[in-house]
Amino acid sequence: MTRIFRQGAVIARRDFLAVVKTPTFLLFLLAPVFMLLFGWLGGSGASQVAEGASNLSRIAIIATERDADALRTADQRMRDYGDAPRLMIVAAGPDPMAEAKSLLETPGTDYLAVMFGPLEEPVIQHEQSAVKAAQWLQGVADQVLLSRRRGPPDTLSRPAYQPLKAQRAGVGMQRQTGYVAVVTVFMLTLLLAGQAVGMLAEEKSNKVIEILAAAVPLEAVFLGKLVGMFGVALLFVAFWSGLLGGIMLLVPGSGAELAALEPAIGLPTFLILGALYFTMAYMLLGAVFLGIGGLAATVRDIQMLSFPVTILQMAMFGLATVAAGQPQTALGRFAEIFPLSSPYAMAARGAHDPSLTPHLLALGWQAIWVAIIIWVAARLFRHGVLRSGGGLFAMIGRKAR
Amino acid sequence: MPSEFPVQADNLVKTFGKARAVNGVSLAVPQGMIYGVLGPNGAGKTTTLRMLLGIIDPDSGTRSLLGHSKPRDASDRVGYLPEERGLYPNMTARDAIAFMGALRGLDWKTGQTRGAVMMEAAGLGHAVTRKIKQMSKGMAQLVQLLGSLVHQPELIVLDEPFSGLDPINQQHLEALVRSERDRGATILFSTHVMSHAERLCDRLAIIAGGERRFEGTVAEARGTLPLRAHYVPCARAEEAGALLPADAVRDGDGWLFTVPNAGPEGLVTRLIGAGHGIAGLTIERPGLHEAFVRIVGEARAQGGTA
Repeated sequence: MTRIFRQGAVIARRDFLAVVKTPTFLLFLLAPVFMLLFGWLGGSGASQVAEGASNLSRIAIIATERDADALRTADQRMRDYGDAPRLMIVAAGPDPMAEAKSLLETPGTDYLAVMFGPLEEPVIQHEQSAVKAAQWLQGVADQVLLSRRRGPPDTLSRPAYQPLKAQRAGVGMQRQTGYVAVVTVFMLTLLLAGQAVGMLAEEKSNKVIEILAAAVPLEAVFLGKLVGMFGVALLFVAFWSGLLGGIMLLVPGSGAELAALEPAIGLPTFLILGALYFTMAYMLLGAVFLGIGGLAATVRDIQMLSFPVTILQMAMFGLATVAAGQPQTALGRFAEIFPLSSPYAMAARGAHDPSLTPHLLALGWQAIWVAIIIWVAARLFRHGVLRSGGGLFAMIGRKAR
Repeated sequence: MPSEFPVQADNLVKTFGKARAVNGVSLAVPQGMIYGVLGPNGAGKTTTLRMLLGIIDPDSGTRSLLGHSKPRDASDRVGYLPEERGLYPNMTARDAIAFMGALRGLDWKTGQTRGAVMMEAAGLGHAVTRKIKQMSKGMAQLVQLLGSLVHQPELIVLDEPFSGLDPINQQHLEALVRSERDRGATILFSTHVMSHAERLCDRLAIIAGGERRFEGTVAEARGTLPLRAHYVPCARAEEAGALLPADAVRDGDGWLFTVPNAGPEGLVTRLIGAGHGIAGLTIERPGLHEAFVRIVGEARAQGGTA
C-alpha cells in the first residue's frame, strides 16, 4: 500500500508541476477575476435595465377633485410601511372606464393598476402579474374611507427599529447556512473537478501510459493524477481564500456575512468540515470523471462526455440542496448516504446538527468510495484500454469505448 | 539471491477479440544474458513482452519475473523501453530520466544526478536541460532508454529498441546493452532486424504466428540450416554444374549450392578428377537472417498467421 502511495506521489508531483509551471495556469488562477468582472458588467447592466423598467411603472387613480388630495395623503402614509410604483392621480372625466383603458395602453409608461369609480366600490383594473399593485390601490381607498369615518389620526407611531442578534440561530438561518455550504462546495467542485475528464488524454496521446502501466499499478496512476490535480485546485482555493481573507481583515465589516453564519456545529468546525468535504467531493467526482475520461478514445469523445458529467454534477447538487432544505426527511438522509452527493449534503448538515460523529463516519464512508471508484476505474481502463484479461470489466470497458 | 531464470513463461495465451495473438509461448531467460525475441511484424512479440511485464494479463499460462508470479511486485527491479516511445514533451531530458527512475523507486535527486551523468556518457551532455519537445526523435528515444536504465535494474526489457535510431546511435545502443550485461543485468529485447540479434544475443527465441518456433543460441539457429558452398572452377564452369548437387545455381563465375550431408570431400575429388579444378571454394554456415526466414517460412506454410 505504501508503494502505491509513493508511486502515486511521483505522478501527482509531475502532474502538479506540469500544470502550475505553464503560463495557462495564471489564466486559470485569474479566471474568477474575469468571471467577476463580466458578472459585474452584466449585473450592473441588468440592474440598470431593471431600474429603468421600475421607474417607468405607475399606478393610477381616476378620481374626482374632492378625493384627490386625500388619496395622495393616504398613499404617502402607506409608503411608511412598504413600497409601490409611483401613484398618478388623474382627474375623472365623463367615462372613467375609457380613461382607464387609455392609461393602461399609454405607450412608454407601464400602468400596472388603475382604480376608478366611487371609493366604496372602486373598480381596479390591473395587469395579471400586478396583484400587489392593485391591492395597494385598495389600501389607499380604505385609508381615505377610514380617515373620513374616524377623522385623521392624532398621532402616528414613531418606532425606533432595533435589530437584535438572536441568542440561537433560527431554523431558517441554519438551513440558509447549510445551503451556502452546499453551493460553495458544489461551485468549487464544478469549477475544478471537471478537469479530471481529460487528465489521461495526455498520457494516451503521447504514449506515456505504457511506461506508467509497466512501472506502477494503474490504481497509483489514477490516485496520483487525482491528487496532482487536487493540488492545483487547492492552490486555486488557497489563493482566493487568502485574497478574500486579506480583504476581510483590511476592510472593516467586509466579513460580516461570514461572521453572521451560525452553524450548529460552530463556525470554525463548520469551515474545517467544509474544506474536508470539498476534498472528498473533488476526489469522488474527480475519480468518476477520470475513469470515464480514461475510457474515451478521442478528444471528441471527451468533449461529448462533458455533458453527461455536468448533468451528473447538477443532479448531485439538486439532491444535496434537498438535503439542506429538508435534512430530516428520507430524501435528505439518502443524499447524505449516497456517495456522490454525500459531501455536499454532509457539509450542509453541520449547519443544523451539532454532532461531530456523523461527519467522521461520513468522511470515512466517502474515502472508502473514493478507493472503490479508483479501483473500478483502473480495472475498466486496464481491461478496456490496455485490453488485458476478460470478464465483466473487459466487457464494460470495451463497450464504453 | 538472483534467480537462475529471471524471466520464465509457460504456455502463455492471449486472444484479442477473435484473433489469437499469442498461442502457448514458453520462455526461460537465463540470468545475465542478452536474450532476443525475434519474429516478423505481428508475430506476438510485443504482446508476449507486455504479458511478461504484467501490463496485460494472459488468458492462460503462467509467468514469473525475477521470481515473482505477479510481475508488478518486481517492477522496481525492471527497466522497460516500450515499442511505442513516449515522454512528456515539456519535461527536460534530465527530469524525464529522473521521473522514470522515481516511478521505479529511485530518489528524484539521485535520478537527476545519474541522468546527467548517463546523458554525458551517451554524448547528450549538451541536452541535459533541454525539453523533450526540442529534441530530435532519436535523441528523445535515447533519453527514454536511459530513463529505463537509471535505477540500475536487474532485468531490462527493450521492445524494438533499434527502430528509429540512426546507425551511429544503433551502435551506441548495442554498446550500452553489452555494458548493462557486463554490469550483471539480464536483457530481454525484441527485434525483427537480424543483424542486431546476431551481434548481441547470447540466446534467442523466434516467434511466428503467436507461437515459439525456435529457442537456442545464434549458432544453433544457424545450425538448423545446412552449409552453403561457393565454388569457382578453373575451367569449363558450365559443365561443372552437372557434378554439383541439384540445388546448384550460377553465381557470377562460379556456383552456389548446399553442401551434401556427407561433406564436401567426395564432391571436391570428383570435380578435380573431371578436370574442373578449384579456383575458389568457400564453405560457410548461412546467417541468422536465412535461418529466421526459413523458420518463419515454415511457420507460414503450416498455416500460422506470421
